[in-house]
Amino acid sequence: MKYKIAVAFVPLGVLFALGPIPANGQETVGVFEQPMLITSAGQNAEVQIAAVLAKRAGLNYTLSKQATAADLQNMKTLVLVLGTSLKGLGAAGLDLDKERERVMSLVTAAQKNQLPVVCLHLGGESRRGQQTDDLITETLPLAKMLIVVKSGNGDGFFTKICQSKGIPLIEVEKTADAQLPLQKAFK
Amino acid sequence: MTQPADRHAPHNYIGRRAMVVAAHPLAVQAGLEMLRQGGNAVDGAIAAAAALNSAEPFASGIGGGGFMVIHLAREKKTTVINFREKAPRLASPRMFKDKGEEEKEWRTSSGLGVAVPGALAGWDLALRKYGTRTLAQALAGAIAIAEGGFDLSPTFSTINKDEYERLLKNLPEGSAYLNGGLPYEPGDRFHNPDLAGTLRLIAARGIKEFYQGELAAKIVAAVREKGGIMTAEDLASYSAVELEPLRGTYKDMTILTAPPPASGGLHLIEFLNIIEGWPVRKWGRNSAAYVHHLSEALRLVFADRERYVGDPDFVSIPVDRLISKEHAAALAARIRADGPLDRYVAGEHGRGEKDAANTTHLCVLDEDGNIVALTQSINDFFGTGISPQGTGFLLNDHMDDFAADPESVNAPGPGHRPVSSMGPLIMFRDGRAFLALGSPGGIRIFSSLTQIILNVTEFGLGLDEAIEAPRFFSFSTGGRPGPIAVESRFPWDVLSALQAMGQEVEVREAYDKYFGGAQGIMILKDQKIIHGGADSRRDGVGAGY
Repeated sequence: MKYKIAVAFVPLGVLFALGPIPANGQETVGVFEQPMLITSAGQNAEVQIAAVLAKRAGLNYTLSKQATAADLQNMKTLVLVLGTSLKGLGAAGLDLDKERERVMSLVTAAQKNQLPVVCLHLGGESRRGQQTDDLITETLPLAKMLIVVKSGNGDGFFTKICQSKGIPLIEVEKTADAQLPLQKAFK
Repeated sequence: MTQPADRHAPHNYIGRRAMVVAAHPLAVQAGLEMLRQGGNAVDGAIAAAAALNSAEPFASGIGGGGFMVIHLAREKKTTVINFREKAPRLASPRMFKDKGEEEKEWRTSSGLGVAVPGALAGWDLALRKYGTRTLAQALAGAIAIAEGGFDLSPTFSTINKDEYERLLKNLPEGSAYLNGGLPYEPGDRFHNPDLAGTLRLIAARGIKEFYQGELAAKIVAAVREKGGIMTAEDLASYSAVELEPLRGTYKDMTILTAPPPASGGLHLIEFLNIIEGWPVRKWGRNSAAYVHHLSEALRLVFADRERYVGDPDFVSIPVDRLISKEHAAALAARIRADGPLDRYVAGEHGRGEKDAANTTHLCVLDEDGNIVALTQSINDFFGTGISPQGTGFLLNDHMDDFAADPESVNAPGPGHRPVSSMGPLIMFRDGRAFLALGSPGGIRIFSSLTQIILNVTEFGLGLDEAIEAPRFFSFSTGGRPGPIAVESRFPWDVLSALQAMGQEVEVREAYDKYFGGAQGIMILKDQKIIHGGADSRRDGVGAGY
């Protein structure tokens, strides 16, 4: 199990195994507080995987697929699982515009309440595409950390955004590998 | 089994004597091996169909059902095996409606969603009547795949992730369908020793084991534990049936396909009848005029589907009228060239759109010219996600193919077969079979197959080029139009022109499995060559010799 950290001033390809990692003056270990609200940005199926990883990590979380600002009450961190699924949107009775509106109002409310946003992209290459990328471009710059399954960042899309915004980016080989950095990121 | 470096690049698999196309290379290998050992097309098709249970278990298997069209060259006979699932005897029209807001969950993710499986009965009937090998011989390849395992494709991994929630809810602990409780990644090794054991048991004891033996007891227990109503009697009384094929024509070609309760072939014929009178070549393939007219026709066909189509054992379907040229002309006359209709009235009982892209299709051609076109399914990917303890196979959610409205002709009822969208077909010209075709894709099946047929016969595309070409789809329900869904490869000027006509357009992925995963075989007698086409929207491949 291994993961890779890349930030604006850290050369790409530097591999870190475990332990505290400095990133833009902030640590990605023990940075965020619990409880956390987990929701998706795009009604993807990976939001359920994120919840299982959080549970296995022993984190205090609430999963709400269609969370609104009201769900942030008593929460200390917002976890956004990135990736648009047309199937998921259809099942939720949403379209892209409505989902974008929901996510942006949620992120805005989190910022207003000084709740940090942590992003996960767990779907790999198959959970990319124009509809996914458009929503990520709007939401990711507001995040304080990103964990991404490596195959989803093959074109450097996430690296580029994270470097320009100084967001710590953690690449993992497989979905299951996201558990450890997620666990370590929380107090 | 050569494949192009770019999976989406059109690539016809070439054969001189025989061909197998299916949604997984290991299934193709199992079918081809059977042919090489002297089996006929039916033997090869059942070997491939069973192998798909091991290699592509999320789409079909012994927990599901389907239809196959068999053409016997020497006898000049074409026949259909209907192995569609049946509703349990305790089913009733309101069984889902009464669940209120939880209806969808009950239809797709509970024991109530499971219909009595028909796959094994259908495979067995086909082999006994038209094959030359035993069921045990046909299952050998599937057993080897389940036991030996294989590396998972991105397609399998993506679908595994998409259906994770349902699997988490319903799978027994330690099931092979999750990897340590999480979805599989591309390249992970997948083994299913429980399935191998189940298939070995069936090979030794016959299908009676599945319908009346220990496996039957496990199925009933699993279904009932998840709130279902299936009984041992439901399983024991299930039988597959042989039917006369449904016959239609398009210009100088004849289409033989599965009749209701399969609706794909019926509506494909109705759709082609409407198109037959239109100047499609003049409009141009995938031009705005072409997409508009065909979408309007689809909406009218869906209106007929809502109104008329149910299980013919229980309701009277005016099949002859629906596939008549006169009916098609009347529908065509209602279509406006400059925009959509206000209403597409025929049906009173909406079905609602189903998004599932599910199901699988395979075709086999043997050295004697016998052909099988076989479509089978467990409905949604991974079915209900329910797997009887220790068996390694998944149970279907085909009860979801019954209409929501208790007044519909397709409402659930005891022993009824739900209307299916499947449409395996064989096309003939001058009395000779020249094209076998079919696809998954739920309600998109007949639309996708029609577009492939038109790509080949009207626009001169090669078979796989026709399969890979951009697709679109529309429908109506309750008289209201759905949007026109298109793959993102459509030019923007075409989409703009459609929007200017008042059409709502929904852009999907460039190669979207929403539109199915078609497989076909084309026989070019004059060139003494066989082409196999297999869809890159899923993991379709082919091989011949």
